[in-house]
Amino acid sequence: MAAGTLAERGRAFLPMALKEAGIAAGIALLLALPLVGAKTVSEGSAFVVTPRIVELAIGVVLVFAGRLAIASLRGGHHIPVVAAALALAALGWLFALPSAFLGVVTIAGGLAVACIGAIGLLRARRDRIPAAARIDSARLPRQALAWLGPALIALAILLPFLPFADRRVMDIAILVLTYVMLGWGLNIVVGLAGLLDLGYVAFYAVGAYSYALIARDFGLDFWSCLPLAGVFAAFFGIILGFPVLRLRGDYLAIVTLGFGEMIRIILLNWYNFTGGPDGISGVPRPTFFGLPFKRAPPEGVESFHQFFGIDYASIHRTYFLYFLVLALALITNAFTLRIRRLPIGRAWEALREDEIACRSLGINPTNTKLTAFAIGAMFGGFAGSFFATRQGFISPESFTFIESAIILAIVVLGGMGSQIGVVLAALVLIGLPEFFRELQEYRMLAFGACMVLITVWRPRGLLATRDPMIRLSRRRAPP
Amino acid sequence: MSLLTVEHLTMRFGGLVAVDDVGFSAEEGRITALIGPNGAGKTTVFNCLTGFYKPDTGRLALRADGREHMLERLDDFRVASEAKVARTFQNIRIFPQMSVLENLMVAQHNRLMRASGYTLLGLVGAGRFRAAERAAVERAVYWLDRVGLTDRADIDAGTLPYGGQRRLEIARAMCTEPVLLCLDEPAAGLNPRESGELNDLLTFIKAVHRIGILLIEHDMNVVMEISDRIVVLDHGRKISEGPPDFVRNDPAVIRAYLGEEEHEGG
Repeated sequence: MAAGTLAERGRAFLPMALKEAGIAAGIALLLALPLVGAKTVSEGSAFVVTPRIVELAIGVVLVFAGRLAIASLRGGHHIPVVAAALALAALGWLFALPSAFLGVVTIAGGLAVACIGAIGLLRARRDRIPAAARIDSARLPRQALAWLGPALIALAILLPFLPFADRRVMDIAILVLTYVMLGWGLNIVVGLAGLLDLGYVAFYAVGAYSYALIARDFGLDFWSCLPLAGVFAAFFGIILGFPVLRLRGDYLAIVTLGFGEMIRIILLNWYNFTGGPDGISGVPRPTFFGLPFKRAPPEGVESFHQFFGIDYASIHRTYFLYFLVLALALITNAFTLRIRRLPIGRAWEALREDEIACRSLGINPTNTKLTAFAIGAMFGGFAGSFFATRQGFISPESFTFIESAIILAIVVLGGMGSQIGVVLAALVLIGLPEFFRELQEYRMLAFGACMVLITVWRPRGLLATRDPMIRLSRRRAPP
Repeated sequence: MSLLTVEHLTMRFGGLVAVDDVGFSAEEGRITALIGPNGAGKTTVFNCLTGFYKPDTGRLALRADGREHMLERLDDFRVASEAKVARTFQNIRIFPQMSVLENLMVAQHNRLMRASGYTLLGLVGAGRFRAAERAAVERAVYWLDRVGLTDRADIDAGTLPYGGQRRLEIARAMCTEPVLLCLDEPAAGLNPRESGELNDLLTFIKAVHRIGILLIEHDMNVVMEISDRIVVLDHGRKISEGPPDFVRNDPAVIRAYLGEEEHEGG
């Protein structure tokens, strides 16, 4: 009986799938005809349209195959589809297709279909296992999460000592950690207090310029400027926050966006003070608690390699910058985790949940939001002064709106309020585009694909689970 | 001296007079009910009392511990933190993604903020703050026990069933240690067993904690059973006031609820 229906379904399935694939291929043909099928070539002074039949045909065949594969997966034919998809990806890898783009599409499409097929196969297998024997998939991430944090920290500390950690890897790691720190700072404002801030880069800029200007005009070193940069950024946070924090949601987002642009434009136009578009060069590089990283330090100053009696290597400074930003980021994290257990942190989260209820409980909403804004801004300021000392040169161009958008994307994709989520999202959003550089112009395509995949699979962010910060069950054993 | 004295309270929204020259009082250790048909202005009175609306005219005086607070002059959060008036909402307003216990800890925010030295002492983990936090948890557990949610303390408040959320909101209001508790339709949506439990809870709060309770309620079983005094509003005006037995038989109240055309009432 069952075999009979399966065979029947199989017979009915093939024409259906072919029809579906045919329709998809037809639409692809219509769309691709003007976009792919014709190419303008400049011949002397004139443009000549030349047809691209082969590319068009390959594209349409790919769409047909892909749709057929998806329909077959729905029909339950997992194994042949996975095999065919892998073969297709291999073909795209081995044979030179007329354009690199078709190659990328073939490989990525084949692998994606193979992944979907493999997941479907695993699901089908798992459903045959009795429920009791299954791994509790809801609890698994939580158990894994408890280990993920310490494991990531251990990995971060060991990273410079690993064999593959060359200069390029370290530079990417520093960049990722800077964004992790910015994400953690913004997480206080957006994830905990629920204040949508689209101008976070303003505080990053204030921190960077505070350090650069104080160092230039007063000759203070990095370690004295770091707290000052944080204080200045927090001060700006309060100045901005005071008038605008009574606004809600979208309105607050627009005002903060405007504030971010204002700061950038002031930096651009106040030429005498900030150097305008020329920026500030010669920002002092960091010192190892007073020991500079220089091959030939000035007279009377001992440098890092002389003090420790080792050979000079320019990567020492990179390592030091790495550990510096790692420490700053971990301080941000520790502070956030600590403050979430304090009444102010709980009040932030309560404000995010329901402001009216908070008012009815006697919580001053303006002050509470202001502290979140100021503390978030302070960490942005720390990150900014780190950025200035790492680059040695800053200009308003580093503080455009896209930076705010990326930091916000890190927080949102990570899962609002989740600390590890921010790390994972920063790795995906900052680390991947850097590693994708080999894909050249398809880099941003791959980046976009990752973002789409995250929003499809984890619409509430990579890690959206929230554990209560205070528990009763540990104090009281259940009866 | 009454705990709460409301005199000549008037609140207009544009041309609509939602509350028109209403006056009543509420006593310590007594349950005062505010009833009336839909749109009578009961919730508007509550919102004026708790600072969410600023009344056009009127005096709202709260006397407790030898101090007098003019509620109409205070911001909404000051009504809660300084005058110690707590409230619940007609459509429940808990913090759904925080745990039940955390909901009750948020209610003790101001006390804990002082103990944590406005966060500075708390950051370094000072003993004074930890003691205050333990006391706050004790108080939360006390109210969890009273409302029967102790075994659910660590789950998200949003996953509680409806009745549980109503009880949590009352427990949360009580954790602010109010002198006056304002409940906006606490029995709405409860089944008969649950509204029986609510009666017991309110009677307990009144008897043991001796605070004043102001109650908006449509469920006449609840109102008539536990209220000491009832104020009836209709179209923004007070039409009757007195103990339950008096209000139940007041022709003006019967008219307001059943309509003008009914004659068998006389």
